[in-house]
Order: sequence, then C-alpha cells, then structure tokens
Amino acid sequence: MSLCLLDEDSFRSSCKLLLQQSEELRDSWTWEPGSSEEGYLKKIALKSVVIDSSLKWNLIDDDEGEAADVCGLSEGSSSSQVFQYEYHIVYSCSYRTPALYFRACTLEGRSLSLEEVWSSVHPNLRLRLKHCPLNTITQQEHPLLGQPFFLLHPCRTQDFMRPVLQAAHQQNRSVNYVLTWLSVVGPLVGLDVPLHYSISSSSTKPD
Amino acid sequence: MADDKDVLRDVWYGRIPTCFTLNQDEVTEREAEPYYLLLPRVSYLTLVTDKVKKHFLKVMKAEDVEEMWFEYEGTPLKWHYPIGVLFDLHASNTILPWSITVHFKNFPDRDLLHCPSNSVIEAHFMSSIKEADALKHKSQVVNDMQKKDHKQLWMGLQNDKFDQFWAMNRKLMEYPTEEGGFRYIPFRIYQTMSDRPFIQKLFRPVSPEGSAHTLGDLLKEMYPAAIPNEGEQKRYQVVIHGIEPLLETPLQWLSEHLSHPDNFLHICVIPTPTD
Repeated sequence: MSLCLLDEDSFRSSCKLLLQQSEELRDSWTWEPGSSEEGYLKKIALKSVVIDSSLKWNLIDDDEGEAADVCGLSEGSSSSQVFQYEYHIVYSCSYRTPALYFRACTLEGRSLSLEEVWSSVHPNLRLRLKHCPLNTITQQEHPLLGQPFFLLHPCRTQDFMRPVLQAAHQQNRSVNYVLTWLSVVGPLVGLDVPLHYSISSSSTKPD
Repeated sequence: MADDKDVLRDVWYGRIPTCFTLNQDEVTEREAEPYYLLLPRVSYLTLVTDKVKKHFLKVMKAEDVEEMWFEYEGTPLKWHYPIGVLFDLHASNTILPWSITVHFKNFPDRDLLHCPSNSVIEAHFMSSIKEADALKHKSQVVNDMQKKDHKQLWMGLQNDKFDQFWAMNRKLMEYPTEEGGFRYIPFRIYQTMSDRPFIQKLFRPVSPEGSAHTLGDLLKEMYPAAIPNEGEQKRYQVVIHGIEPLLETPLQWLSEHLSHPDNFLHICVIPTPTD
C-alpha cells in the first residue's frame, strides 16, 4: 500500500504545515536545517514526570531466549520530578515514515538512562515494553547529529497509520501524516499534541 | 544470490591485530600490562572484549570501575559500528597493531551509546538487519522468519559461526531474478570530516534503463568529491573491509558479498594519506 508510505518531499511539506499551526497555537516546534534539503522538527519542553522506580528492568540475557524483561515489583518510591525533554522528528528513508527521537535530562543536566525512560512511559506502552523493551525504545545514534538519543522504533508505524489513512482516503479527507502520526506516538513518551492542532487543521483545510 | 563463498569467508574471517592499553588516569593497584587481541572485523567492540575487561579489572578496585569504553587517539569509538568500520574510518593508515585505549571512568554520554549487556548489542544488530530488509524486500523476508531464525543470525555472529550465520543470511540475500537485484541497496557512507555520522539514502542497484549501478555511480550521486576528476590527484580513498574496490564493481554484487552481517554495505571515505 503506497498510501501508507511517506516520501521525503511529503514529509517536508507535512512538517511545514505542522510548523505553521505550531506558530498559530504558540507551540514551540522549530525546523532545524541539516545539509542540503534535510532537516528535522525539534521541540524542547519541561515536563513533570513520574518515574516508577518499582519497575526493575532485567537487561541480562537468560536462557529462555528472551533478551530482556521486567521483573519484580518491589516496594519502590515513585516521585514526580521535572525533566527537560528534547524531541526530534526525523525522516527515516528506510521505513519511509517519520521517526521520533528524544532525550531528557534533569534540570541539573544529568541525562536520563534507558531504564528511567522505560519506567516513565505511558502505561499503555508499558505492556509492550514488558515483553520486548529492546524492540520498542532503545538508545540509538541520531542519524543527522551522531549523538545518542532514544528512539521509539519506527518499524510498526505503517501498521497503525494504514487504517487512519485508508479511512481518510475513502472519505476524501486530507490528513497531515506527521501530525496524525505524532498524535499517536507522542503521548507514549510524554509529548502531548494539543487537540487544537486537528481543530485548526480542519478549519484551514488546504484545497 | 550470494554464491562467491570464498569472498564471504574472507570477509567473515577478517581480523585486526589490536593492542589495548589502560588509560593513564585510571586508578590501579599495580601497573596494567597491555592486552593483545585479534579483533574480528565484522563484530562489535563490546561483544569481543570480555577478556580485555577481565584483564584490566585484575589491577583495579571495584569502586574505581564504571562502564568500559574505548578510545583511539582522542576519538571515543562507537561500539555500535562494526569493528572493521571503526578501523577503516579512524586508523586505516596507521601501523599495526591498532592501539586502543581502554577507559573505566567518565563515560562520554554525549558521544557513545551505553552498552550494559549483550542483549543491547543483539537488539542493535537485529534492528539493523530489519532496516536493511525494509530496504531490500519491504521487510518481507525478515518478517517471514521465525524468532529462532533471528536468533540463529545473532548466535552465528556472537559465536563466530560462519556456516550457522550464512545458512540463514542467504535468505536475506535473495531477490527475484527478473529484477536484477534488491529494491534498494542498504548502504552507509562514513566520513570523518563532518558532524554528520553517515550518508544513507535510497539507491537502486539497477538504473531505470536496466543497467547495473556501480560503486562509482553510487558515489557520484551521494559523495561526488570522493571521485577524482580526470587528471586530478586522488584526494580520497573509498574503503570497504580494508580494501579499495574498483569503482566499476556492480553495487548489487558488493551488497551481497561485502555487506557486514548487519546486512548494510559500510563504505568509508577517508583522505588519501600524504607521505
């Protein structure tokens, strides 16, 4: 289904639209240009996050063939803390989808570890994380900056975008791929997409 | 289909003699001797250096030991690149053995991914294979494999078992004869001259007219400066697995034979040494 794929030009025009709306809504997305035409969307946000320290992530291989799993709900303290999150939306030419890269640090500048990120995701995602954490969020090299970031793995993106895009296609509605995608994946890692985005996008519908 | 088995073997068994030295600033109880090892080009630093770690831990106190990392002449070495790529990129024209410095303190968070266990390497390796298959076969081959097949690829690499790995990897190297190659070639072009870690884009093995694309065609499009103009002195070397393949080599053949186990063709563009 080519409908579900996003080519690089459409990615850029999707991002442009999102940027316009972000300006109107006083959200803080910016476009960071790379070399030639490439670039990515970036947003920095302060967030108060609860890290569930009762979750213990086991990263040591066991014999069952499961690479890693979560175990043991010990009595732990879960306190809320303020972190600075930096989100990047980067185009993945291999999967032909957007990919969400992010990193987070405390206000003192200490970076969050992978385990802390796993323990702070939305409960809906935690279920999947429990089974295969290393296929869901891992630390990866940012393809344009070469620095370590966390990546919400993009290989399932087409699966959940397909029904949305098909429905929109049937109803002759235009969809901003990046915005729709972001509204699904963002909240999983603490990035909320205000409802106003889709309200304003339907009122200022392009052709 | 990859059928040139000798080439596959030579690539798989490529080794780099390496001397590991402990960073001078580490606190030790007595002097640490250097440690020598033959590193497999197609593996990962953190996967094959258990012995190095053990060796240096003998002279250190547990409280002075944090996550181990490696450095070459001031550059932190990214364990998630295959060892051969790190060598070709940073140390191509140096005297052997390759001299790597080992650190147990001040992990460079901003430069390196953490590697707390082999399952992190496995996840990285498998995600590269999946990405490569998304390019080659729209993910069809890797998705048709079972979990044990994925495990076989990983175990083959981890235990340095050529036959075990290739018995499964050959499936990832197949393509419909009438198409003359993969959908797109999974490649990365590395250079040390820019912040951008590598170039990776879509590139087909066959031109719209039906002729086979060559390594030269790829570079012309992705990195024109790497190809010398007529009569000009060669400014760059284009290195794959320590050799400079002819620019006329068909890209599809390179992808099948000179790709790393992660199924990507890693190409290093380095300045020609001036001596």
